[in-house]
Amino acid sequence: MGVLLPVGTKKGLFLLRSDADRKKWELEGPLLPGWPVYHAIVDPRDGVLYAATNSFIYGGTVHRSRDLGRTWERAEEIGLPEESGLKLNATWHVEPGNGSELWLGGDPGVLFRSDDGGVTWEVNRGLLEHPTREQWQPGAGGMCCHSIQVVDGTMYIAISAAGAFRSEDGGDSWTPINKDVAADFHPEKYPEVGQCVHKLLAHPARPDRLWQQNHCGVYRSDDRGDNWERLDGNGLPSDFGFALALDAEDPDVAYVIPEVSGEQHFTPDGRLGVYRTADGGDSWQLASNGLPDRAWAAVLREGFAYDDAGLYFGTQSGSVWSAPRGGSEWIEAAGNLPPILSVEAAHV
Amino acid sequence: MAIVLLPGTLAAEAGGEKRFELHAATVGEALRQLPVANLLLDEAGQLRRLVNVFVDGIDVRGGRLLDEPLGEESEVRIVGAIAGG
Repeated sequence: MGVLLPVGTKKGLFLLRSDADRKKWELEGPLLPGWPVYHAIVDPRDGVLYAATNSFIYGGTVHRSRDLGRTWERAEEIGLPEESGLKLNATWHVEPGNGSELWLGGDPGVLFRSDDGGVTWEVNRGLLEHPTREQWQPGAGGMCCHSIQVVDGTMYIAISAAGAFRSEDGGDSWTPINKDVAADFHPEKYPEVGQCVHKLLAHPARPDRLWQQNHCGVYRSDDRGDNWERLDGNGLPSDFGFALALDAEDPDVAYVIPEVSGEQHFTPDGRLGVYRTADGGDSWQLASNGLPDRAWAAVLREGFAYDDAGLYFGTQSGSVWSAPRGGSEWIEAAGNLPPILSVEAAHV
Repeated sequence: MAIVLLPGTLAAEAGGEKRFELHAATVGEALRQLPVANLLLDEAGQLRRLVNVFVDGIDVRGGRLLDEPLGEESEVRIVGAIAGG
C-alpha cells in the first residue's frame, strides 16, 4: 500500500505520494491555490480529503474533496453565535471522531462538530461557554484549538494558550488537565488553565498515555492528563519547540524537534535535529542522519506526522523530510515548496 | 439586472463563474445570493473587513455598505484587499 502526505502550505495544498519503500516521492499541486492550508487530512474511514483553509481576506473554512483533490466543495457557514460576542478567526485542525463524527478546532479556542461529512459544522457549547474562558489568552498564532484526540470514549483538546482539556461525555463538558504543567509567562507559574500547549498527542496503543510539546517543556502523562511529568531536562538541547510525533506501536517512543526559545523560533546551534526517546522520555537521542547540520529551520505544530512505517516533517523553508520508523535515515521528499504549515500521512 | 463580478479566487469557489446577473435592490441582497456569500460576509452577516465592494466604480465603504442601493444596470465589483507576502 502506498503512502500519501497532504502537505499544507501558506500558498495551497500539495500531495506527496510514495510506495511502501518511501524512497521516491511524487509531488502534485498546488491544489486550492491562494488558500493557506493550516491542516489537511485524508479521513481513513472514507478517503475524503479535508483541508482547514484560511484566507486573510475571505476568512476561515473547510474544503473537502472526494477524489483526492481533483474537485472541491466548501463547507457551509462556519461561525460563532452572535450572543458569544466572538467571531471565527481561523480553522486549524480537522480530526475524525467516533462513528461519523468529524471535529474541527479553530481560533478563538473553539471546537466544531460535523455529522454530515463536513458540509455543516455545529459549535461545541461546552468549550465555547467554558467557565475559565476569560483566563485564556492567544499565543503568537492566535488562540488556536490545534490538537484534538479522540480515544475510545474520551476526547482531549489543547489550545494555545488555554491549556489541555479532557471530555468524557462527548464534548458536553471539559475538564482542565494542566497539573504541574508550567506557564512561565503567567503570573502564577502553575495555573489551572492558560498553559501554552503547542501539540498534544495520545498514544494509539496505550490511550492513557499522553505526550505534549509545550511552550514551557516536554511532558508525558500516564493517567489521561491527571498528572504530567516534565522530560526536557533529559538530554534535549531546549525545552521549546512545536513538533511532536509518536510511534504507532511503542508507547515509550516519541520524537520532538527543538527550537532555541520562544523568542528564537529556529533550530539550536543551526542543527535541524529530530530527538527520539525510546524510554518514555528518560533520555533523548539525536536522530538526524541525512538532515542538514547547518539549517536554521522551523517546524510548526502541525508539521510532523507519523504512520506505522515512517516519520515525516515539513519546514517553514519548504522542505519535506521522510524517514523510516525509528528515524534512522532522513531523505528530502520535496523541497522548495512554500512555507509548510502542516504534514499528515495517509495510506491509499 | 445588476451584474456582480468576482476576482479569480472567488470565481474558483463559485464553480468557475466570474459574472453573475441578479435581481437585487441593495449590495447586501446581491452578495447574499452568491454561492460565495459566506466568504464575503462573516457569521454576523457583515462584510468582511478586507473585502472591498465597488458599485459602478464607487467604494461602498464610503457609502451605505450593504445597504447601498443598486440600479437595474449597476455593476458590482468585488475586490480583495491588496497585500504582498
